[in-house]
Amino acid sequence: MKNIFKVYQKILHRGIVPVLVIAMTFTSCEKNIDLEPFNQVSETAAFQTAPLIALTVSGMYEAAQIGYYANPVDPAYRGFPFGSAFVQQGDNRGEDVVNVATFYQLTYTATYSTTSANNVNYWKDSYRLINRCNIVIDGVRKAATDNVISAALAEEYEGEARLLRAMTYHELLQHFARPYKDTPSASHMGVPYHEKPFTTQAAIEEGFATGRSTVAEVYAKIIADLDFAEAKLPLKATRTGNQKLTRATKGAAIAEKTRIYLHMWDMDKVITEGTKFTSGSLAGTYALTAEPSGPFASPYSNTESIFGMENSATVNPGVNAALASQYGRRQLVCMSPILWRNPSWLVDDKRRADGAMTFKVSNVIFTNKYKDQTNYTDPSPMLRYAEVILNMAEAYARKGDVTNGLTYLNMIRNRALAAPATQAYTAASFKDNVELLGAILVERRIEFAMEGRRWPDIHRLQKCPYFPINGIPAKLANGMPAGSAFTLGTPYTGALGTVAIPYSDYRFVWPIPQDEINSNPTLAAQQNTGW
Amino acid sequence: MKKIALLLAFFAIGLNVLLAQTKEITGIVTSTEDGGTMPGVSISVKGTSLGTITDMNGRFVLKVPADAKTLLFSFVGMASQEVVIGNQSVINIQLKAEDISVDEVVVVGYGVQKKREVTGAISQVKGDAIANLATPSFESQLAGRSAGVQITAANGVLGEAPRIRIRGVGSISQGTYPLVVVDGMPVFTGDVGGYASTNAMGDINPADIESVEILKDGSATAIYGSRAANGVILITTKKGSKGKFSVTYNNYLGIASPVNLFDLLETPDFVTISNEKRSNRGQAAIAVGTDVNTDWQAAVLRQNAFQQDHNLGISGANEMTNYYFSLGYTTQEGVSRPNEMNRYTFRSNIDQKLYKWLSIGLNSAITRSEYFGLNTGSNSLSGNIFSAIRMLPNTSVFDANDPTGYNIDDVNTNYSGRGQNLQQVDDNLPNIRYTLDKNVYSSKTMGVIASTYLMVNITPDLNFRTQLGVDTKGTEGFRYWNPFHGDGQSVNGRINNNYSNLTRWNWQNVLTYTKTFAENHNINVNLVNEFQQQNVNSFYGAGTNMSDSFFSHNLIDGSYGTQISGGSKSQNGFNSLAGRINYNYAQKYFFQASVRRDGISSLPKDNRYGIFPGVSVGWTISRESFMSDLTFISDLKLRASYAEVGNVDIGNYPYLGLYSNAKYADYNGIAFSQIGNDQLKWETSQKTDIGLDASFVDSKYKFSFDYFINNQDGLILAAPTPPSFGIPGNSIAKNIGKLKNWGYEFTFDLALISKKDLKLSVDGNLSLVKNEIQELVNHQDIIQTYTIIREGESIRTLFGYDYQGVNMSNGNPIYRKADGTLVQGNIPTSNYKVYNPENPTDISVASTLVSADRKLLGTSIPTYFGSVGLKAEYKGIDLNVMFRYSGGNYVMNRTRMDLLNQKFQNNGTEILGRWQSVDNPGDGWTPRLWYAGDTFVNFTDNTSTRWVEKGDYVKLQTVTLGYTLPASLLKRMGIQNLRIFAQGQDLLMFTDYTGIDPEMENGGVDFNGTPRQSVVTFGINLKL
Repeated sequence: MKNIFKVYQKILHRGIVPVLVIAMTFTSCEKNIDLEPFNQVSETAAFQTAPLIALTVSGMYEAAQIGYYANPVDPAYRGFPFGSAFVQQGDNRGEDVVNVATFYQLTYTATYSTTSANNVNYWKDSYRLINRCNIVIDGVRKAATDNVISAALAEEYEGEARLLRAMTYHELLQHFARPYKDTPSASHMGVPYHEKPFTTQAAIEEGFATGRSTVAEVYAKIIADLDFAEAKLPLKATRTGNQKLTRATKGAAIAEKTRIYLHMWDMDKVITEGTKFTSGSLAGTYALTAEPSGPFASPYSNTESIFGMENSATVNPGVNAALASQYGRRQLVCMSPILWRNPSWLVDDKRRADGAMTFKVSNVIFTNKYKDQTNYTDPSPMLRYAEVILNMAEAYARKGDVTNGLTYLNMIRNRALAAPATQAYTAASFKDNVELLGAILVERRIEFAMEGRRWPDIHRLQKCPYFPINGIPAKLANGMPAGSAFTLGTPYTGALGTVAIPYSDYRFVWPIPQDEINSNPTLAAQQNTGW
Repeated sequence: MKKIALLLAFFAIGLNVLLAQTKEITGIVTSTEDGGTMPGVSISVKGTSLGTITDMNGRFVLKVPADAKTLLFSFVGMASQEVVIGNQSVINIQLKAEDISVDEVVVVGYGVQKKREVTGAISQVKGDAIANLATPSFESQLAGRSAGVQITAANGVLGEAPRIRIRGVGSISQGTYPLVVVDGMPVFTGDVGGYASTNAMGDINPADIESVEILKDGSATAIYGSRAANGVILITTKKGSKGKFSVTYNNYLGIASPVNLFDLLETPDFVTISNEKRSNRGQAAIAVGTDVNTDWQAAVLRQNAFQQDHNLGISGANEMTNYYFSLGYTTQEGVSRPNEMNRYTFRSNIDQKLYKWLSIGLNSAITRSEYFGLNTGSNSLSGNIFSAIRMLPNTSVFDANDPTGYNIDDVNTNYSGRGQNLQQVDDNLPNIRYTLDKNVYSSKTMGVIASTYLMVNITPDLNFRTQLGVDTKGTEGFRYWNPFHGDGQSVNGRINNNYSNLTRWNWQNVLTYTKTFAENHNINVNLVNEFQQQNVNSFYGAGTNMSDSFFSHNLIDGSYGTQISGGSKSQNGFNSLAGRINYNYAQKYFFQASVRRDGISSLPKDNRYGIFPGVSVGWTISRESFMSDLTFISDLKLRASYAEVGNVDIGNYPYLGLYSNAKYADYNGIAFSQIGNDQLKWETSQKTDIGLDASFVDSKYKFSFDYFINNQDGLILAAPTPPSFGIPGNSIAKNIGKLKNWGYEFTFDLALISKKDLKLSVDGNLSLVKNEIQELVNHQDIIQTYTIIREGESIRTLFGYDYQGVNMSNGNPIYRKADGTLVQGNIPTSNYKVYNPENPTDISVASTLVSADRKLLGTSIPTYFGSVGLKAEYKGIDLNVMFRYSGGNYVMNRTRMDLLNQKFQNNGTEILGRWQSVDNPGDGWTPRLWYAGDTFVNFTDNTSTRWVEKGDYVKLQTVTLGYTLPASLLKRMGIQNLRIFAQGQDLLMFTDYTGIDPEMENGGVDFNGTPRQSVVTFGINLKL
């Protein structure tokens, strides 16, 4: 009996440790696995306070400034769509630059495919931005209803989102759809238009119902967005610092409208919108800088720039996309002799100025519009007043108003001339408004050289009644041109190693990316013809 | 009365003592192993409490009663011996090490098991099999050593973790790395931070490993529940060796070199080819100058990378204490400049018995690892191989006239010098040697893996053990990009310091009950509860626009223009309860069942807990009476198991809708970064295994066979969402996806000769593994650049175009479209034309080659692999040879495409077979050259049969020749054992693959990897 008791005592002694340990374990159970992230904010909190809403609006611009280059291992910043990519793709699809290395070769030689990175990421990053815009629009509306922020502030935020959304859809249309004039009422396929945010499983299910809208439908939505943005956005003056030029303003919305209406071939509206700069709501807000290099010499504080993406030393498209890296330090894209030797571009034009506007390496000409080759802080030139003026000039010329057309053209050209008194165009310079129009179209190429404006012009001028472009023009061969090809005096007549691609060719438009085709049965049935 | 009785009693005792006759027995106890004397051996008179222990010299003196019959000699780890005393007064005996071969144990989850009672599929690799091999991390040496386990090192960069596949690929988009447990503590695996590749497994000193157990099937892994889907690797470190205390010293010194090199063009051919690229396109020649003929590979790769390793171990054991201490040092140069690793390890394993019923112990290892890495980016301008194969051979590496001493271009200092060529190297390649020499990538890790336990024997049958473990790694990273040339030029120099801290706490309590009832009913029960929490945080500081390259050793206040910093923190944890029961009847019929309930922080609240059951049975047929006549059968056992386990390598918060920081320029912002899925559940893996173990003729011939099926269900897939929806990452984490791996494993081990002076054995294994994707989101293919994930196919099957060779009349590449027709890529116009074999010169009919023309081009996963080894001993000489083989897979040789680039860059010699003219059509496979025509001529970024090759190979993995000096000679020097050896690894390869090595693939693609290393070493094993 005693022995048995001893055994129990022994077991009891020895058992105390495990019992204690096990008791301890049950005290710490659930806490151990009920964890919240430290690095991110939960979606339920994002629109709950005014500061978080302000951050979310700012984060929308991030998608515009530095889209990713989706590399499965290491997604890298690449400046899609507005941080830099629109410039590089817009230039390299055209003939006014030469791609000297491999970087933009697929774009330059039109050997892209449904999986090639630049066109694929243009699509992906544009829609990523659109979804962020839609999230903001939806979020601020709810926040206003819940009195988290005022209705006025919500509308201003919504205006910012809708400006970015409109601009992004326009980028998509220019690359993935045929131009407005392709069919008489623009009833051909545009791009899928989404205006609801995709943040839930239910939204995903619903989204599959949406196919490609027609080009006309997308343009109508773009105009609606821009009208709203114009009404709700503040003037440049109410913003501070760099944000006067790098955050959405009323000026940006109106300037964008002049561009959109040009693409829609609605010249009256171009003039209506453009006039707001001279005598309307924007009177006195913007002015051309004295020198053509002005907007690039001090890109964050000048009277001419209207809108661009801000780039900072720590957040920018990086060594593989920043404009000052690609066009500047790395010299991956040079000016094409086709443009450089265009006889309409006078030899002593200030826009050729070595230093202020260009630089030379072994006589090959590169742009010097983007100057910060160390920190890549140049903004991207999305909209500047010079474009509004040339849009106006073109609209007047097309309407037969030679006087106004000439005036607006000369506003741009004369400031670049070495001797305006003798070199300026006069009424006598042109036989008619069509000749004037021709000069305006060339002027655009010169003024916006290496600002990404060439492709939009090629795209919209496909069925131009006066100066139609047929498809993608022939270009110099991919690779470094000889320095001698840049000798001025005669037009370039050398070899064009990259052959022209006619408008009828399927390569004129980019294909919808394979990832979209694979994951979206609706769009799989709506791929661009030939791809 | 009482007093009288007491007195009488005393008297009686005294009388007894006086009357009892005693005799004295003396003797010496030695060990059969080495003949050495054994201190501390206990000697007792059987059936009494009389006894003594041997002194330092193994001697004993014991007075025993005259009637004592038997002495009992016992010592830990040695077989006890009984000696009949008889008339002897001197008894010298030899103790034999306990014969554990009969009862060899394997380590299983939360315990050990006798090998012959195992009913799951477990492979054991003994530490000494891999101890002396020159290797950056031990696990790469497990390759070929057990069936069903494939380990591949895709390149020769020290610090990169090899890929481990245990019975196939267990997940599509989540982790596929097995759980690794060191002495019961689940440890970190993979890269632990810094700027050079690091591998947590590299922190483990291979010399400290006693054994590695690889748990492969469901029942073996089920006790690890949610972490077991990819298999479990258990590492047991050494204990004090049985017998007396010993000192060991092992080392090796060796030289590593690349297994193979590329056949690049030399200057004369380079000039011809370069200018032909240009002239075909009507462009002027640019390659000029034949004075220089540089082998740029030699500038990047080392032929004589020095490697050395030293290990000192001290260990011993007695009844109460068991200790093992070791110091290790290794330094290894990698085959690519400036890759290097240094490792310093210290380990201390101590077990102490406090009372008969209570013991404690501490296993701890401190490791300092230093890795010096480099840019190995397969598509980076400063990537070592990317650049080495492209640099112009008619330009030199160095230039005494350049201020830097390197050949750097005079026009633009960011290019490598162009020499006499009329143009700089394309893609602005910098001088790769400069960047390798100047830029720094390093990771220095201080790691501690420690666990301490307390063990209580509550009753002889019931045991409780609580263990607290920690694995912590602090990694300091440093990166410097020189401002003058290379990657750093873009930002005028970049300097980064970072620090990451990974800490994992693990607490486990195990209650074990072992009992035999009625002689034949053996039962073993384990109850486990386990908690784990892990914290990972990191931060970095960086600067660009450096004031001067002088400040290139650390971030230095004020030495850079742009300041950048950042950091992150994450956490996860789990709680578990598990139980396992083992039962066997007379060692004949075995049954095991286990169940585990895991709760994990990475899943939504409602789905946080998962239950993972496993069951297995075994039948040792050879123990049946009807088998007793078949004496040549030593052992024959049939096994079967089934379990459901999980995969938790799914990230920290895959289910939450999240907003991450998203700065617009310098304005703070947040943005939608992950779409939530509150339905997210466990990934489960149903594992079935049927196995057979057999051994014959006194266990001389051993065979083992397994058939397994692993069905992975509810795979968490990054289910692709249409990019036009703009969802972050264009995916949502969903439990959609089914995957099946199945196959056969065969193992044999034949002791052909086992004489005293000559031993010869052959062993080997073969695994046949298949993989099939069974279900994907909406049954949609997941198409990657070179591969496809498609239902009914093996994961990441190569996917691309069907190349048919060259149009001999014009040099255009020909492809077969999906409809069977042939098209040629008309090089001058970059578009596709119908190819009519009847009229090959006709290029008038337009056609296309589009994504719909792609087809499956072969599995990227080897379907068979294994090894064959031979061990021989003749007197003191030992020879160990191991061949490893693998095949059945195809490799997209992307490197080969780069070697055939159409730029002003170097090429591989294959390009000499290009089409030049109708009269000189070349090899029929290589199209006409066309400057800058890569995207069209080579169809870059697409797979085609032009580049797809078979991945079959046989390699001489290791060959070791050793010589153990005769014991008689050593004894005089006081040395127990001395062996000298020479060893070679990866010395020979047999393959038809045209690249460096077919093993150098990642996801089926060989893309500019650093060649694997072959190593020759010499070393000694010394034991005092």
